[in-house]
Amino acid sequence: MGMSVDSYANVLAEYRTRNIRASEDVLKKGIFILERNGLGKLGSEAWPFLEQLALAALDLGRLDIANECISRLDKQFVGSPRVECLQGIRLEFKGAYDDALAMYQAILEVDPQIPYAIWKRKISVLRQSGKIKHAVDELITYLDAFYTDPEAWLELADIYASMSLYLQSLSSLSHVLLLIPQNPFYVLQAAETAYTALDIPLALKFFLRSVEMVPEGGASTRGWYGVKLCARRLLSSLPTSLDAVATSSASETPLPSAHHLALLDQLATERLLAAYSTSSPSSAASKTASVSASLAGSVAADAREVLIRWLQGK
Amino acid sequence: MAERVQFGHSRAADAVTTMPSLLGRSLILIAGLTLFHGAFSTYENLSQLKALGRLGTEHRMPWDTAIELLGALILFIIGATVNAPRLNEITWSSQMAKLSIDEMDSRMSFASVNHRGKRLFGNGSN
Repeated sequence: MGMSVDSYANVLAEYRTRNIRASEDVLKKGIFILERNGLGKLGSEAWPFLEQLALAALDLGRLDIANECISRLDKQFVGSPRVECLQGIRLEFKGAYDDALAMYQAILEVDPQIPYAIWKRKISVLRQSGKIKHAVDELITYLDAFYTDPEAWLELADIYASMSLYLQSLSSLSHVLLLIPQNPFYVLQAAETAYTALDIPLALKFFLRSVEMVPEGGASTRGWYGVKLCARRLLSSLPTSLDAVATSSASETPLPSAHHLALLDQLATERLLAAYSTSSPSSAASKTASVSASLAGSVAADAREVLIRWLQGK
Repeated sequence: MAERVQFGHSRAADAVTTMPSLLGRSLILIAGLTLFHGAFSTYENLSQLKALGRLGTEHRMPWDTAIELLGALILFIIGATVNAPRLNEITWSSQMAKLSIDEMDSRMSFASVNHRGKRLFGNGSN
């Protein structure tokens, strides 16, 4: 891909649609476009581009570029709530949480049509300034009003997880899964949260769902690790009746039979070995091998040895 | 470690589809030339009969030219099929395999910008 305003603009547009937060790359390409006066070429896409560049610049501490972007947007869209949102984010960047909070509160009180972006910023400021309980209450009020916002449910799950309230985090993720059932990443997150909450049968179920959606590549390696961990844990605790705690499930998920667990263990082992085998073109090992090509072959072989020993449970 | 066979692709199919340009294009070229030759033969046949004055009302294309033209059509179909590029993946799992956790969990509306980024990357302008 050559270095041109058009190709860079395409990359940035893709970042916008896919919600990728690659701030360094955005800043580099954004500065390139600005220097070559590419705003005219972008046409109507110039404004979302400036917003994206402002956020990336603030992410990397470049207040000068952020100021330039925000002033351009302010000139074009006077009094727009989106621009006010950016100005609030700029205040947050400077650490002036009280000022930002006052600004957001003023906007929310005045505007009859609640600008949800401002409300979300308020919740973010509350979380950043350490008022977690207030943030959670505010977020729950927001979710009462706007249920179909998976981003907010994910944020709630993240806040709960950061406070080690994994069962509440799991319940927030269940709302995400209701809204977006087809995304394997959210299923994987639910699986890992369930595992951390020590609800192993439920975690196993979610892990199996995520690898069913994506059998190989992407996040499937993580899913197979999860299946392996759950199967091993359940198998090791099944024989002893004293270990009822380990196999109990807060969600009362039924346990698969020992035979099925053994089969799952075997399958997960085989899938993990395949994912790390250097002969397949899209494997995890070949990707890392290309990155660390300077490593001696014996190091990679040792790592593989360790993996195989762990998989076999020694 | 046994080599994994890609689902839906045989070794032979790989051999054919990995060199689409050569085999496919040569087949299409031969078909085109054969078509041109058949058309020219038809024209020649017609003009010869006209010159001899033996052009009847029930004149038909000579059978060998007809077979030649049909053969050209079949060759072209085969060549175009072989020349077609590899089919794109359209399954959900293949699309999801290309994505990452970071972009699914970015939560941009809640993202904080007051972190060590300005110490690490800033140029002291703030």
